Amino acid sequence: MMSKTRRWPKALSRIVLIMITALTAFPFLWLFVLSFKTDTEILNSPFSLPESIDFSNYERALDTLPLVKMFGNTLFVAVFALLISLVCTFMLSYAITRLEFKSKRLQNGLYLLFVAGLTIPPYIVIFPTYRMIVSMGLLGNRVSLILPLAATTMALGVLLMVGFLRDFPKEIEEAAIIDGCNIYQMCTKVVLPVIKPVLATVIIFNVLYFWNEYPISSVLVNDPQMMTISLGASMFRGRYSMDYSGMIAATVIIIIPQLLFYLLFQKNIVEGMTAGAVKG
Amino acid sequence: MHWLSKRSTKIIMVLPALILFVGFVIIPIFISVYYSVTDFTGIGEAQFIGLKNYQVLFHDRFFFVALKNTLIILIGITITVLPISFLVALLLEKPFKGSGIIQSMVFAPNVVAPILVGLIWLFILDPKMGLINAILKGIGLGSLQQQWIGGRTLTPYAVAFVYLWQVLGFYTTINMAGLRSIPADIYEASQIDGANRIQQVWRITIPMMKNTIVINTILIITGGFKIFETVQQLTNGGPNHVSDVLVTYMYYTTFTTSRYGYGMAIATVSFVFCLIFSIIYLTRVNKSMHQEEG
Repeated sequence: MMSKTRRWPKALSRIVLIMITALTAFPFLWLFVLSFKTDTEILNSPFSLPESIDFSNYERALDTLPLVKMFGNTLFVAVFALLISLVCTFMLSYAITRLEFKSKRLQNGLYLLFVAGLTIPPYIVIFPTYRMIVSMGLLGNRVSLILPLAATTMALGVLLMVGFLRDFPKEIEEAAIIDGCNIYQMCTKVVLPVIKPVLATVIIFNVLYFWNEYPISSVLVNDPQMMTISLGASMFRGRYSMDYSGMIAATVIIIIPQLLFYLLFQKNIVEGMTAGAVKG
Repeated sequence: MHWLSKRSTKIIMVLPALILFVGFVIIPIFISVYYSVTDFTGIGEAQFIGLKNYQVLFHDRFFFVALKNTLIILIGITITVLPISFLVALLLEKPFKGSGIIQSMVFAPNVVAPILVGLIWLFILDPKMGLINAILKGIGLGSLQQQWIGGRTLTPYAVAFVYLWQVLGFYTTINMAGLRSIPADIYEASQIDGANRIQQVWRITIPMMKNTIVINTILIITGGFKIFETVQQLTNGGPNHVSDVLVTYMYYTTFTTSRYGYGMAIATVSFVFCLIFSIIYLTRVNKSMHQEEG
Protein backbone atom coordinates (compact mmCIF):
# COMPACT_ATOMS: atom_id res chain seq x y z
CA MET A 1 0.00 0.00 0.00
CA MET A 2 3.02 2.23 0.56
CA SER A 3 4.22 1.69 -2.97
CA LYS A 4 1.01 3.09 -4.38
CA THR A 5 1.18 6.32 -2.47
CA ARG A 6 4.86 7.00 -2.93
CA ARG A 7 5.84 7.10 -6.53
CA TRP A 8 9.19 8.51 -7.43
CA PRO A 9 10.85 8.38 -10.82
CA LYS A 10 12.60 5.14 -10.04
CA ALA A 11 15.41 5.14 -12.55
CA LEU A 12 16.55 8.63 -11.65
CA SER A 13 16.57 7.85 -7.95
CA ARG A 14 18.62 4.69 -8.50
CA ILE A 15 21.14 6.58 -10.62
CA VAL A 16 21.56 9.24 -7.94
CA LEU A 17 22.01 6.58 -5.27
CA ILE A 18 24.53 4.62 -7.29
CA MET A 19 26.54 7.75 -8.00
CA ILE A 20 26.63 8.73 -4.34
CA THR A 21 27.60 5.21 -3.30
CA ALA A 22 30.33 5.08 -5.92
CA LEU A 23 31.72 8.42 -4.75
CA THR A 24 31.70 7.15 -1.16
CA ALA A 25 33.41 3.88 -1.97
CA PHE A 26 35.92 5.32 -4.40
CA PRO A 27 38.52 6.70 -1.95
CA PHE A 28 38.81 3.25 -0.33
CA LEU A 29 39.28 1.56 -3.68
CA TRP A 30 41.80 4.15 -4.78
CA LEU A 31 43.79 3.69 -1.57
CA PHE A 32 43.84 -0.03 -2.22
CA VAL A 33 45.07 0.48 -5.80
CA LEU A 34 47.75 2.91 -4.60
CA SER A 35 49.02 0.42 -2.05
CA PHE A 36 50.45 -1.68 -4.87
CA LYS A 37 52.18 1.16 -6.67
CA THR A 38 55.79 2.17 -6.17
CA ASP A 39 56.75 5.64 -4.98
CA THR A 40 57.93 6.68 -8.42
CA GLU A 41 54.64 5.58 -9.92
CA ILE A 42 52.68 7.53 -7.29
CA LEU A 43 54.70 10.70 -7.78
CA ASN A 44 55.16 10.59 -11.56
CA SER A 45 51.93 9.12 -12.81
CA PRO A 46 49.28 9.50 -10.13
CA PHE A 47 46.47 8.53 -12.49
CA SER A 48 47.58 5.06 -13.52
CA LEU A 49 47.19 1.51 -12.35
CA PRO A 50 50.17 -0.24 -10.75
CA GLU A 51 52.64 -1.79 -13.20
CA SER A 52 52.64 -5.05 -11.31
CA ILE A 53 50.97 -6.44 -8.21
CA ASP A 54 53.60 -6.91 -5.56
CA PHE A 55 53.34 -6.86 -1.84
CA SER A 56 56.64 -5.17 -1.05
CA ASN A 57 54.85 -2.07 0.30
CA TYR A 58 53.01 -4.26 2.76
CA GLU A 59 56.17 -6.07 3.76
CA ARG A 60 57.90 -2.75 4.42
CA ALA A 61 54.92 -1.43 6.38
CA LEU A 62 54.80 -4.55 8.53
CA ASP A 63 58.53 -4.26 9.20
CA THR A 64 58.44 -0.63 10.31
CA LEU A 65 55.14 -0.62 12.20
CA PRO A 66 55.06 -1.96 15.75
CA LEU A 67 51.63 -3.39 14.88
CA VAL A 68 51.26 -5.82 17.77
CA LYS A 69 52.20 -3.18 20.31
CA MET A 70 49.88 -0.59 18.75
CA PHE A 71 46.90 -2.95 18.66
CA GLY A 72 47.65 -4.22 22.16
CA ASN A 73 47.86 -0.73 23.67
CA THR A 74 44.71 0.40 21.92
CA LEU A 75 42.83 -2.70 23.00
CA PHE A 76 43.91 -2.24 26.61
CA VAL A 77 42.76 1.38 26.71
CA ALA A 78 39.54 0.57 24.85
CA VAL A 79 38.55 -2.32 27.13
CA PHE A 80 39.02 -0.46 30.39
CA ALA A 81 37.59 2.83 29.19
CA LEU A 82 34.62 0.90 27.84
CA LEU A 83 33.99 -0.93 31.13
CA ILE A 84 34.18 2.25 33.19
CA SER A 85 32.07 4.24 30.77
CA LEU A 86 29.40 1.54 30.45
CA VAL A 87 28.95 0.93 34.17
CA CYS A 88 28.74 4.66 34.96
CA THR A 89 26.46 5.43 32.04
CA PHE A 90 24.13 2.55 32.74
CA MET A 91 23.70 3.32 36.45
CA LEU A 92 23.11 6.99 35.74
CA SER A 93 20.63 6.32 32.94
CA TYR A 94 18.74 3.91 35.16
CA ALA A 95 18.57 6.46 37.96
CA ILE A 96 17.37 9.15 35.54
CA THR A 97 14.60 7.05 34.05
CA ARG A 98 13.45 4.79 36.91
CA LEU A 99 14.31 6.10 40.35
CA GLU A 100 12.18 8.73 42.03
CA PHE A 101 13.88 11.98 42.90
CA LYS A 102 12.27 14.47 45.20
CA SER A 103 13.10 17.15 42.70
CA LYS A 104 12.06 16.41 39.13
CA ARG A 105 14.15 19.36 38.05
CA LEU A 106 17.29 17.82 39.50
CA GLN A 107 16.62 14.59 37.65
CA ASN A 108 15.96 16.39 34.38
CA GLY A 109 18.91 18.71 34.96
CA LEU A 110 21.26 15.74 35.36
CA TYR A 111 20.13 14.43 32.00
CA LEU A 112 20.57 17.77 30.27
CA LEU A 113 24.01 18.28 31.86
CA PHE A 114 25.31 15.04 30.39
CA VAL A 115 23.66 15.44 27.02
CA ALA A 116 25.14 18.94 26.73
CA GLY A 117 28.50 17.17 26.72
CA LEU A 118 27.76 16.08 23.14
CA THR A 119 28.25 19.61 21.89
CA ILE A 120 31.49 20.37 23.74
CA PRO A 121 34.58 19.90 21.59
CA PRO A 122 37.07 17.80 23.55
CA TYR A 123 39.92 20.09 22.41
CA ILE A 124 38.87 22.68 24.95
CA VAL A 125 39.57 20.33 27.84
CA ILE A 126 42.78 18.69 26.61
CA PHE A 127 45.23 21.13 28.14
CA PRO A 128 43.49 21.39 31.55
CA THR A 129 43.22 17.60 31.64
CA TYR A 130 46.92 17.39 30.87
CA ARG A 131 47.69 19.77 33.75
CA MET A 132 45.48 17.77 36.11
CA ILE A 133 47.14 14.52 35.10
CA VAL A 134 50.59 16.04 35.61
CA SER A 135 49.72 17.45 39.04
CA MET A 136 48.32 14.09 40.10
CA GLY A 137 51.60 12.51 39.02
CA LEU A 138 49.79 10.20 36.60
CA LEU A 139 51.46 11.25 33.35
CA GLY A 140 52.79 8.21 31.53
CA ASN A 141 50.34 5.99 33.39
CA ARG A 142 47.68 4.29 31.29
CA VAL A 143 44.97 5.38 33.73
CA SER A 144 45.66 8.95 32.64
CA LEU A 145 44.29 8.16 29.20
CA ILE A 146 41.50 5.79 30.22
CA LEU A 147 39.61 8.14 32.56
CA PRO A 148 39.34 11.19 30.26
CA LEU A 149 38.33 9.00 27.31
CA ALA A 150 35.67 7.27 29.38
CA ALA A 151 34.38 10.65 30.54
CA THR A 152 34.08 12.07 27.02
CA THR A 153 31.95 9.15 25.78
CA MET A 154 29.33 9.36 28.49
CA ALA A 155 27.24 12.03 26.77
CA LEU A 156 26.35 9.83 23.82
CA GLY A 157 25.83 6.81 26.08
CA VAL A 158 23.40 8.66 28.33
CA LEU A 159 21.51 10.05 25.34
CA LEU A 160 21.05 6.60 23.80
CA MET A 161 20.33 4.66 26.99
CA VAL A 162 17.94 7.17 28.52
CA GLY A 163 16.12 7.35 25.19
CA PHE A 164 15.77 3.58 25.13
CA LEU A 165 14.75 3.14 28.77
CA ARG A 166 12.11 5.88 28.51
CA ASP A 167 10.38 4.04 25.70
CA PHE A 168 10.64 0.72 27.48
CA PRO A 169 7.71 -0.42 29.70
CA LYS A 170 8.39 -0.68 33.43
CA GLU A 171 6.01 -3.59 34.07
CA ILE A 172 8.64 -6.34 34.12
CA GLU A 173 10.67 -4.41 36.64
CA GLU A 174 7.64 -3.74 38.81
CA ALA A 175 6.83 -7.45 38.80
CA ALA A 176 10.42 -8.19 39.81
CA ILE A 177 10.13 -5.84 42.77
CA ILE A 178 7.00 -7.62 43.96
CA ASP A 179 9.00 -10.84 43.79
CA GLY A 180 11.45 -9.27 46.21
CA CYS A 181 14.27 -8.29 43.88
CA ASN A 182 16.86 -5.77 45.12
CA ILE A 183 18.49 -3.03 43.10
CA TYR A 184 21.57 -5.07 42.28
CA GLN A 185 19.58 -8.07 41.06
CA MET A 186 17.28 -5.71 39.24
CA CYS A 187 20.10 -4.17 37.21
CA THR A 188 22.03 -7.33 36.42
CA LYS A 189 19.26 -9.92 36.05
CA VAL A 190 16.24 -7.96 34.85
CA VAL A 191 17.30 -4.75 33.10
CA LEU A 192 20.59 -5.71 31.44
CA PRO A 193 19.03 -8.46 29.32
CA VAL A 194 16.29 -6.20 28.01
CA ILE A 195 18.52 -3.27 27.09
CA LYS A 196 20.82 -5.44 24.98
CA PRO A 197 20.03 -3.72 21.66
CA VAL A 198 20.93 -0.26 22.87
CA LEU A 199 23.84 -1.60 24.89
CA ALA A 200 25.25 -3.08 21.68
CA THR A 201 24.99 0.28 19.94
CA VAL A 202 26.62 2.16 22.79
CA ILE A 203 29.44 -0.40 22.93
CA ILE A 204 30.06 -0.16 19.20
CA PHE A 205 30.12 3.63 19.13
CA ASN A 206 32.39 3.72 22.17
CA VAL A 207 34.78 1.12 20.81
CA LEU A 208 35.01 3.02 17.52
CA TYR A 209 35.69 6.23 19.41
CA PHE A 210 38.37 4.71 21.67
CA TRP A 211 39.92 2.97 18.70
CA ASN A 212 40.09 6.14 16.61
CA GLU A 213 40.72 8.77 19.27
CA TYR A 214 43.68 10.98 18.44
CA PRO A 215 43.73 14.51 19.92
CA ILE A 216 43.56 13.55 23.62
CA SER A 217 45.98 10.65 23.23
CA SER A 218 48.42 12.80 21.31
CA VAL A 219 48.81 15.03 24.35
CA LEU A 220 48.51 12.51 27.20
CA VAL A 221 50.68 9.75 25.77
CA ASN A 222 54.36 10.62 25.61
CA ASP A 223 55.81 7.15 25.91
CA PRO A 224 56.36 5.35 22.57
CA GLN A 225 55.80 2.08 24.46
CA MET A 226 52.18 3.15 25.00
CA MET A 227 51.53 4.29 21.42
CA THR A 228 48.00 3.63 20.16
CA ILE A 229 46.92 2.97 16.58
CA SER A 230 45.92 6.55 15.84
CA LEU A 231 49.16 7.86 17.31
CA GLY A 232 51.12 5.45 15.15
CA ALA A 233 49.15 6.53 12.10
CA SER A 234 49.76 10.20 12.89
CA MET A 235 53.49 9.55 12.65
CA PHE A 236 53.28 7.99 9.20
CA ARG A 237 54.14 11.26 7.52
CA GLY A 238 57.29 11.54 9.58
CA ARG A 239 58.16 7.88 9.85
CA TYR A 240 57.87 7.16 6.16
CA SER A 241 59.02 10.68 5.27
CA MET A 242 59.05 10.15 1.52
CA ASP A 243 57.89 6.55 1.49
CA TYR A 244 54.32 7.24 0.41
CA SER A 245 53.67 3.71 -0.74
CA GLY A 246 54.68 2.31 2.65
CA MET A 247 52.40 4.84 4.32
CA ILE A 248 49.47 3.79 2.13
CA ALA A 249 50.04 0.10 2.79
CA ALA A 250 50.16 0.83 6.53
CA THR A 251 46.89 2.74 6.25
CA VAL A 252 45.24 -0.19 4.47
CA ILE A 253 46.50 -2.57 7.16
CA ILE A 254 44.83 -0.44 9.84
CA ILE A 255 41.61 0.24 7.94
CA ILE A 256 40.80 -3.37 7.04
CA PRO A 257 40.11 -4.57 10.61
CA GLN A 258 37.98 -1.46 11.17
CA LEU A 259 35.86 -2.13 8.12
CA LEU A 260 35.51 -5.80 9.10
CA PHE A 261 34.39 -4.77 12.59
CA TYR A 262 31.86 -2.44 10.99
CA LEU A 263 30.55 -5.10 8.59
CA LEU A 264 30.08 -7.45 11.51
CA PHE A 265 28.15 -5.01 13.65
CA GLN A 266 26.53 -2.62 11.20
CA LYS A 267 23.06 -3.97 11.95
CA ASN A 268 23.43 -2.95 15.59
CA ILE A 269 24.66 0.51 14.66
CA VAL A 270 21.66 1.22 12.48
CA GLU A 271 19.20 -0.36 14.91
CA GLY A 272 20.46 1.57 17.89
CA MET A 273 20.44 4.85 16.01
CA THR A 274 16.90 4.17 14.83
CA ALA A 275 15.78 3.10 18.30
CA GLY A 276 14.48 6.59 18.82
CA ALA A 277 17.02 8.42 20.89
CA VAL A 278 19.26 10.17 18.41
CA LYS A 279 16.50 11.58 16.28
CA GLY A 280 15.38 13.58 19.31
CA MET B 1 9.93 2.62 41.06
CA HIS B 2 9.38 4.03 44.49
CA TRP B 3 10.62 0.95 46.37
CA LEU B 4 14.12 1.15 44.97
CA SER B 5 14.51 4.88 45.41
CA LYS B 6 16.37 4.93 48.69
CA ARG B 7 18.66 7.88 49.15
CA SER B 8 21.78 5.72 49.35
CA THR B 9 20.83 3.84 46.17
CA LYS B 10 20.39 7.06 44.25
CA ILE B 11 23.77 8.31 45.39
CA ILE B 12 25.51 5.08 44.42
CA MET B 13 23.86 5.09 41.01
CA VAL B 14 24.55 8.71 40.15
CA LEU B 15 27.85 9.49 41.81
CA PRO B 16 30.39 7.53 39.68
CA ALA B 17 29.16 9.06 36.43
CA LEU B 18 28.90 12.49 37.97
CA ILE B 19 32.44 12.42 39.42
CA LEU B 20 33.93 11.26 36.12
CA PHE B 21 32.01 13.80 34.06
CA VAL B 22 32.51 16.75 36.39
CA GLY B 23 36.16 15.83 36.96
CA PHE B 24 37.17 15.38 33.33
CA VAL B 25 34.73 17.61 31.42
CA ILE B 26 33.20 20.33 33.59
CA ILE B 27 36.13 21.28 35.85
CA PRO B 28 38.59 21.36 32.91
CA ILE B 29 36.37 23.93 31.19
CA PHE B 30 36.75 26.22 34.20
CA ILE B 31 40.49 25.57 34.32
CA SER B 32 40.67 26.60 30.63
CA VAL B 33 38.91 29.85 31.43
CA TYR B 34 41.29 30.40 34.36
CA TYR B 35 44.42 29.90 32.23
CA SER B 36 43.01 32.20 29.57
CA VAL B 37 43.47 35.17 31.90
CA THR B 38 47.08 34.27 32.70
CA ASP B 39 50.36 34.37 30.83
CA PHE B 40 51.23 30.76 31.63
CA THR B 41 53.97 29.31 29.40
CA GLY B 42 54.71 26.16 31.32
CA ILE B 43 57.57 27.64 33.31
CA GLY B 44 57.05 29.14 36.75
CA GLU B 45 53.76 30.31 38.14
CA ALA B 46 50.84 31.55 36.05
CA GLN B 47 50.55 35.33 36.39
CA PHE B 48 47.13 36.95 36.24
CA ILE B 49 47.05 39.37 33.30
CA GLY B 50 43.35 40.09 33.05
CA LEU B 51 41.84 40.19 29.59
CA LYS B 52 45.13 40.86 27.81
CA ASN B 53 45.07 37.55 25.92
CA TYR B 54 41.65 38.43 24.58
CA GLN B 55 42.83 41.88 23.51
CA VAL B 56 45.74 40.33 21.65
CA LEU B 57 43.36 37.77 20.16
CA PHE B 58 41.17 40.43 18.61
CA HIS B 59 44.17 41.87 16.81
CA ASP B 60 45.57 38.51 15.75
CA ARG B 61 45.36 38.10 11.98
CA PHE B 62 45.87 34.33 12.19
CA PHE B 63 43.00 34.01 14.63
CA PHE B 64 40.63 35.70 12.21
CA VAL B 65 41.88 33.56 9.33
CA ALA B 66 41.20 30.47 11.47
CA LEU B 67 37.79 31.83 12.43
CA LYS B 68 36.95 32.54 8.78
CA ASN B 69 38.04 29.04 7.72
CA THR B 70 36.00 27.50 10.54
CA LEU B 71 32.93 29.46 9.43
CA ILE B 72 33.44 28.44 5.78
CA ILE B 73 33.58 24.81 6.90
CA LEU B 74 30.55 25.14 9.19
CA ILE B 75 28.42 26.79 6.50
CA GLY B 76 29.75 24.45 3.82
CA ILE B 77 28.91 21.28 5.73
CA THR B 78 25.53 22.52 6.89
CA ILE B 79 24.30 23.39 3.40
CA THR B 80 25.59 20.13 1.93
CA VAL B 81 25.21 17.45 4.61
CA LEU B 82 21.69 18.47 5.60
CA PRO B 83 19.97 18.31 2.17
CA ILE B 84 22.05 15.48 0.72
CA SER B 85 21.57 13.19 3.73
CA PHE B 86 17.86 14.02 3.62
CA LEU B 87 17.70 13.19 -0.08
CA VAL B 88 19.56 9.89 0.34
CA ALA B 89 17.26 8.95 3.23
CA LEU B 90 14.21 9.72 1.09
CA LEU B 91 15.56 7.61 -1.76
CA LEU B 92 16.37 4.73 0.57
CA GLU B 93 13.19 4.97 2.60
CA LYS B 94 11.33 2.27 0.76
CA PRO B 95 13.57 -0.82 0.88
CA PHE B 96 14.54 -2.37 -2.44
CA LYS B 97 17.05 -4.97 -3.51
CA GLY B 98 20.45 -3.57 -2.65
CA SER B 99 19.23 -0.67 -0.52
CA GLY B 100 20.78 -2.23 2.57
CA ILE B 101 24.16 -2.48 0.83
CA ILE B 102 23.97 1.13 -0.31
CA GLN B 103 23.11 2.27 3.18
CA SER B 104 25.99 0.42 4.78
CA MET B 105 28.46 1.59 2.16
CA VAL B 106 27.48 5.21 2.61
CA PHE B 107 27.93 4.80 6.36
CA ALA B 108 31.35 3.10 6.12
CA PRO B 109 33.61 6.23 6.11
CA ASN B 110 32.16 7.09 9.49
CA VAL B 111 34.00 4.21 11.16
CA VAL B 112 37.45 5.05 9.79
CA ALA B 113 39.83 6.86 12.13
CA PRO B 114 39.73 10.60 11.31
CA ILE B 115 43.51 10.63 11.24
CA LEU B 116 43.42 8.12 8.35
CA VAL B 117 40.63 9.97 6.57
CA GLY B 118 43.07 12.86 6.17
CA LEU B 119 45.72 10.53 4.76
CA ILE B 120 43.33 8.92 2.28
CA TRP B 121 42.25 12.26 0.88
CA LEU B 122 45.78 13.57 0.74
CA PHE B 123 46.37 11.29 -2.24
CA ILE B 124 43.26 12.57 -3.98
CA LEU B 125 43.49 16.29 -3.26
CA ASP B 126 47.23 16.96 -3.26
CA PRO B 127 48.03 19.37 -6.11
CA LYS B 128 51.17 17.48 -7.20
CA MET B 129 50.55 13.78 -6.64
CA GLY B 130 46.79 13.85 -6.11
CA LEU B 131 44.29 12.08 -8.30
CA ILE B 132 42.01 14.98 -9.19
CA ASN B 133 44.66 17.10 -10.84
CA ALA B 134 46.05 14.02 -12.59
CA ILE B 135 42.65 13.24 -14.05
CA LEU B 136 42.12 16.84 -15.15
CA LYS B 137 45.49 16.81 -16.88
CA GLY B 138 44.85 13.39 -18.38
CA ILE B 139 41.62 14.44 -20.05
CA GLY B 140 43.11 17.65 -21.37
CA LEU B 141 41.59 20.01 -18.85
CA GLY B 142 44.92 20.85 -17.27
CA SER B 143 43.93 24.49 -17.05
CA LEU B 144 41.31 23.55 -14.45
CA GLN B 145 43.92 22.13 -12.10
CA GLN B 146 43.71 23.76 -8.69
CA GLN B 147 45.63 23.84 -5.47
CA TRP B 148 42.81 21.96 -3.74
CA ILE B 149 44.79 21.89 -0.53
CA GLY B 150 47.71 23.96 0.68
CA GLY B 151 46.91 26.92 -1.57
CA ARG B 152 45.59 30.31 -0.55
CA THR B 153 41.85 29.71 -0.65
CA LEU B 154 40.52 26.23 -1.33
CA THR B 155 41.62 24.20 1.73
CA PRO B 156 38.57 24.88 3.95
CA TYR B 157 36.24 23.94 1.10
CA ALA B 158 38.18 20.73 0.55
CA VAL B 159 37.99 19.98 4.28
CA ALA B 160 34.22 20.55 4.21
CA PHE B 161 33.92 18.13 1.29
CA VAL B 162 35.94 15.46 3.09
CA TYR B 163 33.70 15.93 6.13
CA LEU B 164 30.62 15.49 3.96
CA TRP B 165 32.10 12.20 2.76
CA GLN B 166 32.80 11.16 6.34
CA VAL B 167 29.43 11.86 7.97
CA LEU B 168 26.87 11.53 5.16
CA GLY B 169 25.86 8.00 6.20
CA PHE B 170 25.51 8.96 9.85
CA TYR B 171 22.98 11.70 9.14
CA THR B 172 21.26 9.62 6.49
CA THR B 173 20.61 6.99 9.16
CA ILE B 174 19.21 9.56 11.60
CA ASN B 175 16.97 10.95 8.86
CA MET B 176 15.71 7.48 8.01
CA ALA B 177 14.74 6.99 11.64
CA GLY B 178 12.85 10.28 11.46
CA LEU B 179 11.11 9.29 8.20
CA ARG B 180 9.95 6.01 9.68
CA SER B 181 8.25 7.78 12.56
CA ILE B 182 5.85 9.54 10.16
CA PRO B 183 2.59 7.56 10.03
CA ALA B 184 1.78 6.21 6.56
CA ASP B 185 -1.91 7.18 6.67
CA ILE B 186 -1.00 10.86 6.48
CA TYR B 187 0.55 10.22 3.07
CA GLU B 188 -2.42 8.14 2.03
CA ALA B 189 -4.87 10.84 3.02
CA SER B 190 -2.89 13.47 1.14
CA GLN B 191 -2.79 11.26 -1.92
CA ILE B 192 -6.56 11.00 -1.93
CA ASP B 193 -6.60 14.79 -1.82
CA GLY B 194 -4.49 14.73 -4.98
CA ALA B 195 -1.06 15.69 -3.61
CA ASN B 196 1.93 14.63 -5.71
CA ARG B 197 5.22 13.34 -4.31
CA ILE B 198 6.98 16.70 -4.27
CA GLN B 199 4.06 18.34 -2.49
CA GLN B 200 4.07 15.50 0.02
CA VAL B 201 7.75 15.97 0.79
CA TRP B 202 7.36 19.72 1.04
CA ARG B 203 4.10 19.89 2.96
CA ILE B 204 4.21 16.72 5.08
CA THR B 205 7.67 15.19 5.37
CA ILE B 206 9.70 18.32 6.01
CA PRO B 207 7.32 19.89 8.56
CA MET B 208 7.02 16.57 10.41
CA MET B 209 10.78 16.13 10.43
CA LYS B 210 11.35 19.58 11.91
CA ASN B 211 12.76 18.26 15.16
CA THR B 212 15.12 15.85 13.43
CA ILE B 213 16.29 18.59 11.08
CA VAL B 214 16.98 21.03 13.92
CA ILE B 215 18.88 18.45 15.93
CA ASN B 216 20.85 17.38 12.86
CA THR B 217 21.79 20.98 12.18
CA ILE B 218 23.10 21.44 15.70
CA LEU B 219 25.00 18.13 15.62
CA ILE B 220 26.52 19.05 12.25
CA ILE B 221 27.62 22.47 13.46
CA THR B 222 29.07 21.24 16.74
CA GLY B 223 30.62 18.32 14.84
CA GLY B 224 32.22 20.84 12.49
CA PHE B 225 33.95 22.44 15.47
CA LYS B 226 35.57 19.08 16.16
CA ILE B 227 37.24 18.77 12.75
CA PHE B 228 40.92 18.53 13.57
CA GLU B 229 42.73 15.51 12.21
CA THR B 230 41.72 16.15 8.60
CA VAL B 231 43.22 19.62 8.62
CA GLN B 232 46.28 18.41 10.45
CA GLN B 233 46.92 15.64 7.95
CA LEU B 234 46.07 17.61 4.80
CA THR B 235 47.99 20.84 5.42
CA ASN B 236 48.73 21.09 9.15
CA GLY B 237 47.23 24.56 8.97
CA GLY B 238 49.88 25.77 6.53
CA PRO B 239 51.27 27.46 4.65
CA ASN B 240 51.73 30.16 7.26
CA HIS B 241 48.40 29.44 9.01
CA VAL B 242 46.20 30.25 5.98
CA SER B 243 44.37 26.93 6.32
CA ASP B 244 44.18 26.75 10.12
CA VAL B 245 40.81 26.29 11.82
CA LEU B 246 40.11 27.33 15.40
CA VAL B 247 41.04 24.00 16.96
CA THR B 248 44.24 23.50 14.95
CA TYR B 249 45.31 27.08 15.70
CA MET B 250 44.54 26.51 19.38
CA TYR B 251 46.47 23.23 19.33
CA TYR B 252 49.38 25.00 17.66
CA THR B 253 49.55 27.92 20.10
CA THR B 254 49.07 25.64 23.09
CA PHE B 255 51.17 22.61 22.34
CA THR B 256 53.61 23.70 19.64
CA THR B 257 54.55 27.16 20.89
CA SER B 258 53.64 26.63 24.59
CA ARG B 259 51.64 29.86 24.85
CA TYR B 260 49.17 28.09 27.11
CA GLY B 261 47.37 31.19 28.36
CA TYR B 262 46.80 32.45 24.84
CA GLY B 263 45.77 29.01 23.60
CA MET B 264 43.21 28.76 26.35
CA ALA B 265 41.80 32.15 25.37
CA ILE B 266 41.14 30.66 21.90
CA ALA B 267 39.66 27.58 23.59
CA THR B 268 37.36 29.75 25.71
CA VAL B 269 36.12 31.69 22.69
CA SER B 270 35.43 28.40 20.87
CA PHE B 271 33.64 27.11 23.93
CA VAL B 272 31.35 30.14 24.04
CA PHE B 273 30.40 29.48 20.40
CA CYS B 274 29.58 25.87 21.23
CA LEU B 275 27.73 26.88 24.37
CA ILE B 276 25.29 28.90 22.29
CA PHE B 277 24.54 25.84 20.16
CA SER B 278 24.36 23.60 23.26
CA ILE B 279 21.67 25.80 24.71
CA ILE B 280 19.59 25.71 21.53
CA TYR B 281 20.10 21.95 21.41
CA LEU B 282 19.08 21.44 25.03
CA THR B 283 15.95 23.55 24.69
CA ARG B 284 14.98 21.30 21.79
CA VAL B 285 15.72 18.08 23.66
CA ASN B 286 13.88 19.36 26.69
CA LYS B 287 10.88 20.36 24.61
CA SER B 288 10.60 17.05 22.77
CA MET B 289 10.87 15.26 26.12
CA HIS B 290 7.94 17.16 27.59
CA GLN B 291 5.93 16.58 24.44
CA GLU B 292 6.36 12.85 24.92
CA GLU B 293 5.36 12.99 28.56
CA GLY B 294 2.38 15.23 28.09
